[in-house]
Formats: sequence, C-alpha cells, structure tokens
Amino acid sequence: MFSILVKSLTTGIVTEMAPFDRPVPFGFPVIDFTRCTMCDACAKACPSGAIQSTAPVAGRRTLALSYGACIQCRECVSACPEQAVSAGTQGEVAAYTRGQLQQSASFDVDPASGACTLRHVEAQPAPSLEEAAARLRARIQGRLGRSLHVRQVDAGSCNGCELEIAAMSNPVYDLERFGIHMVASPRHADVLLVTGPVTRNMEVALRRTYEAAPDPRIVVAVGACGCSGGIFGEGTYAALGGVDRIVPVDVYVPGCPPSPSALLNGLLVAMGKRAARTGAPPPAAAATSTPRT
Amino acid sequence: MSAVASTAAERLGLRDGVIREVRSGELVIDAGAADLPALADAAVAKLGARLLSIFATDERAAHGRFTVQHVWWLPELRTLLRASAGVDPAEPSFPSIATRHPSANWFEREVMDLFGLSPQGHPNPGRVALHDDWPEGVFALRKDFADDTTVGRVAGDLHPFRPVSGEGVFQMPVGPVHAGVIEPGHFRFGVAGEPVLYLQMRLFYVHKGTEKRFERLPWRHGLFLAESISGDTAVGHALAYAHAIERLASIEVPPRARSLRVILLELERLYNHVADIGALATDVAFTVPASQAQSLREGLVRLHQRLFGTRLLRGTVALGGVKTDLADAGRRALQAHLTSLEPEFDHLITSLIDAGTFTDRVDATGVLTHQAARDLGIVGVAARASHVDGDLRRDLPHDAYEGLQFDVPLEDGGDVRARLMVRAREVEQSFRILRQVLDTLPATALCASMPADLPAASSALGWVEAWRGPVLHYVATDERGRLTRVKINDPSFLNWPGVIQAVPGNIVPDFPVINKSFNLSYSGNDR
Repeated sequence: MFSILVKSLTTGIVTEMAPFDRPVPFGFPVIDFTRCTMCDACAKACPSGAIQSTAPVAGRRTLALSYGACIQCRECVSACPEQAVSAGTQGEVAAYTRGQLQQSASFDVDPASGACTLRHVEAQPAPSLEEAAARLRARIQGRLGRSLHVRQVDAGSCNGCELEIAAMSNPVYDLERFGIHMVASPRHADVLLVTGPVTRNMEVALRRTYEAAPDPRIVVAVGACGCSGGIFGEGTYAALGGVDRIVPVDVYVPGCPPSPSALLNGLLVAMGKRAARTGAPPPAAAATSTPRT
Repeated sequence: MSAVASTAAERLGLRDGVIREVRSGELVIDAGAADLPALADAAVAKLGARLLSIFATDERAAHGRFTVQHVWWLPELRTLLRASAGVDPAEPSFPSIATRHPSANWFEREVMDLFGLSPQGHPNPGRVALHDDWPEGVFALRKDFADDTTVGRVAGDLHPFRPVSGEGVFQMPVGPVHAGVIEPGHFRFGVAGEPVLYLQMRLFYVHKGTEKRFERLPWRHGLFLAESISGDTAVGHALAYAHAIERLASIEVPPRARSLRVILLELERLYNHVADIGALATDVAFTVPASQAQSLREGLVRLHQRLFGTRLLRGTVALGGVKTDLADAGRRALQAHLTSLEPEFDHLITSLIDAGTFTDRVDATGVLTHQAARDLGIVGVAARASHVDGDLRRDLPHDAYEGLQFDVPLEDGGDVRARLMVRAREVEQSFRILRQVLDTLPATALCASMPADLPAASSALGWVEAWRGPVLHYVATDERGRLTRVKINDPSFLNWPGVIQAVPGNIVPDFPVINKSFNLSYSGNDR
C-alpha cells in the first residue's frame, strides 16, 4: 500500500488542461473543388460511400463529401490524380444535422469534350450552425446548466467507439471535471450517447432506452456508423443505419472512431458550452466562389 | 503430393491423395457430408485437432449445391485442414458433430439460422444467431436473399429461457443495455441469494450482416470492413483478411512489411492487455492501479497515433503489406517508449498481486477448468489460463514470427487471476518480440503490388493469432473474381461458452470481473 501512495505522489497530475483543438494525422479529408476535374477517382476509392458523385440533370454533375460517413481511411487522398483531396488535420467535428456534415460542389459538363468546370460550391444547408445551436439551447432551456448525466448506448457498434468513450474517463481526459458523469440508467440521463449502426436486434432496445430517459433527452450520435451507418450501410437486413433513423438526434459526432477529444467536444456542444464546427466551407467561402453562366 | 498431406491422410486412415495441400499450411479434403463426423473423430483422436470453424456456402448457382465446411487446426502437423462437403438443396441437412465435439455447437446452429441447413442429431438445435422475432424460413446468407431486404418482425413471446426454480430462486435479467460502457448482450442469471446457479445468455444484438456485406463490397474495400469487425482487433482482423486475399492471389509480402505487421499486432496486444488489466482493477474498485493502467494505455494509443497515424491502429494494414513505414526516428521513439513502459508495467502488476484486497477477489473466482476448456475448444488467452497450450504465432507462424524468440505463457488456475497473469506475462513477451523486430527491420519495399482482379472461383484461408486468440477468415471468389463468401471467425465465438461454464458458483457481484477477465468481443461474435 505504501508503494501505491509513493507512486501516486511521484506520478503527479497527468490530466491535460484543455484536451481540444489538436491537429491529428488522419483527420477528415478536405477537397479543393477548384482543382477537381470530376474524374470520380475519389468516389470510387471511398469504401464507405462518404464521397458521392451524381448527375442531377443533363449537363450538370455534383460531388458531395459527407464527414458523417467518412472513416478517415485517406483512400481518396491517394486516389486523386490532381492532388485536389488532402488529408485534413481536423478530427474534432460536431454538427446539429446530418446535412451540416456535408459539403458539395456543382460542375458544368461541356457537351463536346465531357470536361467539367466548377460552377459553385454549395453553401451549408439550413439551418446554419448558429441557428441550430440556438434551437438546441431553447430546447434545453438552461436545464443542463453545469452538469450532464450521460447514458451510453451501443446500438450496434464494433466497439471502437466504446473504447474511446471509455477513454474519456481516464486520468488524461477526466471528463468528470467538465461536470459530465456517465450514469448506469437511462432514467438518470440527460444525454444518450449512441453508437451505431443501429442493428435490427438493437432497434427495440434503443427505442425503449430513449423512452425511459426524461425530457429533454438529448441524443448524441457517435461515429461514422452512428451518424450514417458508415461502412455497414443503411437499410440492410441487419443494419438499419444511422441513429437518426430510429430516434431524433441533436448532435452528430463523426469519426471512425472519434477521439476522446472529439467526443468531449461533442458533449460540450450538446450542453451548449462549445460551438459546433463541421470543417465544411463557411458560407462566406461559398459566396466568393465563382458562379458560371 | 506434399509430405504433410500424405502424413495427414495416413494418420487419419485415408487413401493417399485424398488430402491435398492447396497452399502452405492449408490442407483440403473433399468429403461426403456423411463422412464428416468420422473424419472429425479421427482428426481429434489421431492428430489432436482443434476446431476453428464450421461454415456453409451457397453454391447452388454454379454447382447446384450448398457446402458445409469444417476447419481443423492440426497442431502436431503445423497445418490447418479444411474438410468440405456438398449438401443437396433438395435435402438441406448435414450430420452434426456437436454431441462429441461441443465446440461445434454454436457453429452448426448458425449454419442452420443463416443458410437453412439443419444439423441432424444436434443435441440443442435452437436458434443462436437469429432472434425470436425473425420469421421462419428466411435465410440471410443464401444467395437468393438480397442484403437490403427488409424482414418483418414476428410477434410473439420473448425468448424462452430455461426456467430455474426452487425456494428463494430468482431469475435476474441483465442487458442488452448495460450499466457500463460495454457492448450489448443479454444475461439471465438464475440465483439463490447471491450465488449464481445457472447462466444463460442471448447474444447477436450487434449482428450487422458483416459477412453478407463483404459480398457487396469490392475486395479492396473489404479491408476496411474487416477493421470494423471488432474495434479492439482492427489489426488482427484486417491482417487475417489480408492474409486470405494474399494467399488467394499468390502474393508474397515483402520482409519489411512482415516485420512491421508483427510490430502492429504486438502493439495491439499491448494496449488491449494493459487496458484489460486496468479494467480488472476497476471492477474490484482498486482505483489507483486502475488509473495507472488507463494512463499507460493512453500513452500507448498516443504513440500509435504519432507513429502510424491512428490511435487504434486502423488504416495501417494494406493488402500486400503495410501502409505506413516506421522511420529510424519512429523506431527509436518506440524503443524509448518500451524502455519507460516496462518498469511502469512491472509496478502495476506488483501493486495488484501484492494487495490482499485484490487477490481476495480474483483468486479462485470464475474458474474454467482445464477439462472444460479442452472439451469446449476454448482458444487464446482464456485457454492458456486453463493450461491449454496453443498459439498460432508459434504453431502456425504467419508474417515474421518464424524465427523470433518468445515463450507462450501458460497458467494452471483457470481463474480470473490466471487470465490476468497470462496477459501480464504476454506483455513481457511482447516487449521481447518488439525489441527483436526493431533491431532487425529488413530494408525492403513496404507493399507488394496486388493484381487488378482476384483469381476466379477460388478460395483461401487467412489466420492470425490476435491478442484475444486465433482469428480466421475464409475468402472465396466467384467465376468473375468477386467476393462470393467471406466467413469471419473471432475467438470470442469459441470462448463465450467458457464464460457460461465459469460463472455458476460465483456470486453475482463477481460477474463483471469474470466477464472482463475473458473480455470477449460481442461485435466479433455477432458480426
């Protein structure tokens, strides 16, 4: 016992003051749409369908990247022949809607050569992050002032997200100092921290857990699978998809898996203590892109 | 004709030439379904075979049949043996071996649930993979079942658990949503006061249709799906898949990549073993060592991120090699980390086993006897803690394990302490392995180039001794070289019945620490 006491004293404090805003080597990818030629190499290389290339009308094509489905594998980065896709360093992303995790651009197709030229980068879909944050604050009505009780629900995860959720409680992150406490029952919970993809066999349990939680029962969807079904897809016989297919979601924390920092950030966003960031082009950038006639 | 194939045939009393060696370490025998039980008996009696998998394939379109396949590990001959038998769709059944070989129990029931082939003579032919609200006669892994089919729920009673009755006897339901941050499963304890009389469990809550999903993905993308079979075994499953694909395509992995794969596997073992040891301290409320272990684990995963880009070692394995090199600076950083970790880890273990309050809780708790472990075909850490020897790194070496010096620690107790000590001693061996590999990293390419297409209509096995135990993947292609069947075997599937045996006789409050000492994957089991 004496050696344990000595160990505690000599170890000192390992907790980090503010474990946020750390650049990571495998962040979410960033597409420079001005260099994109719409060759589709990135969309074909993406194993989880996070990059989608579509042709909505004749003479027009769009490329969309959703951080909600991205597993940060960087296959798109190595696939792009134009170096238009780069490995981002942003890993702490959170949003209030699935749409806010998406960025896209439209291209005009030259009928003769088939060459594509950028038409415009889509602005972030409504509601804006500020607007969505205000709505969430109104829903909470200050009830989650300084503490948050969290019930974690694994609704189908591979356990990767659970490992990082558990890591939030380790001495380095020490989530309890932020007033966040993991509780054993949904009846004690302000927030359900739900991982996915929601399986057929967990759907009923997830619904019942949601119904057992008291209002305003904030739901945070975790991970690529929790946000969108991820690599398991949506609507298979066994995996139904993202958490929002079953219960309403207030905050999305994508990543495969999101780091403890990203998860902490997401919980603080759910408390209204931090502003959500998506890494998508801000509306200003979208406005200055060059619309073509 | 290979020597090992002839030896195997001779020892099993079969005609020479019946068993073929399709690749190194992979024997195949085409048997009649009726011959499977006799073959299983002979393999176990004459060659000490251990069952690693039973699975089915649907080859009705190409060959007008299903197959049922047994995969045996023959430790003496240092090879695997796959026995494959055709099953006539008009008579969709096959003989069960579960009465004589209990490790076949869940495998055969899963074949019944997902392919609709019934195991004749199975002692307990109930559902295992399907929940009770799944309709009769719908078989998800058959080829005529589209993976995006929405299957309605059947109304009716909840799962009929076996009644446990008597004066003062209760049934205590736990899960699928648990009190801690763990995966979902349902446990039903029959208790008389504190002591557990009987444990029943219901798994497959996180069945994600992963094997079916492989059939939809291009084989290159399958690697990423493999990383998500069990999040704590990302390297293990990705490597087993990569091995199977590389063996199928006859790709030679460059020596440096093989060494780096050993480093990745051992790092995965380290961070999981350290975290599990900490979790055992947590489960008996011994908080100082628990915190110490969690902070050592955090140090390791941060090192992973610095060296390889990701905390849980995702995105490190490539088909044909590895994705990230370890430069000299990284090699030194890893060596320095090991040097500082080793005394910290020693201190952690000492502070646990020197504390009577800790050993009181783990000694003689959750005993899995040697005999039960053998009979049930338990593998990996849990088997070695009950003195059942076996480790594919030594017995069927993959990657660069051949020629490395290391021991395979065994313990006798079969209790929580034995499973803890196997982990502790394996960590020491991992230090030893990592140092050897780091000192002799060959200077070659990182990745062999893969062909544009896989060979058509062929199949291969890939295996790895991951931190929890052996991981085995079976990969088969169709006539156009696309994935047509991937069977995933996580050691958890073989080991869950061990938990059922180890818990009765203990008190309910010891269940968490017993369960954690096995630390089996739900996702790897359910897929």
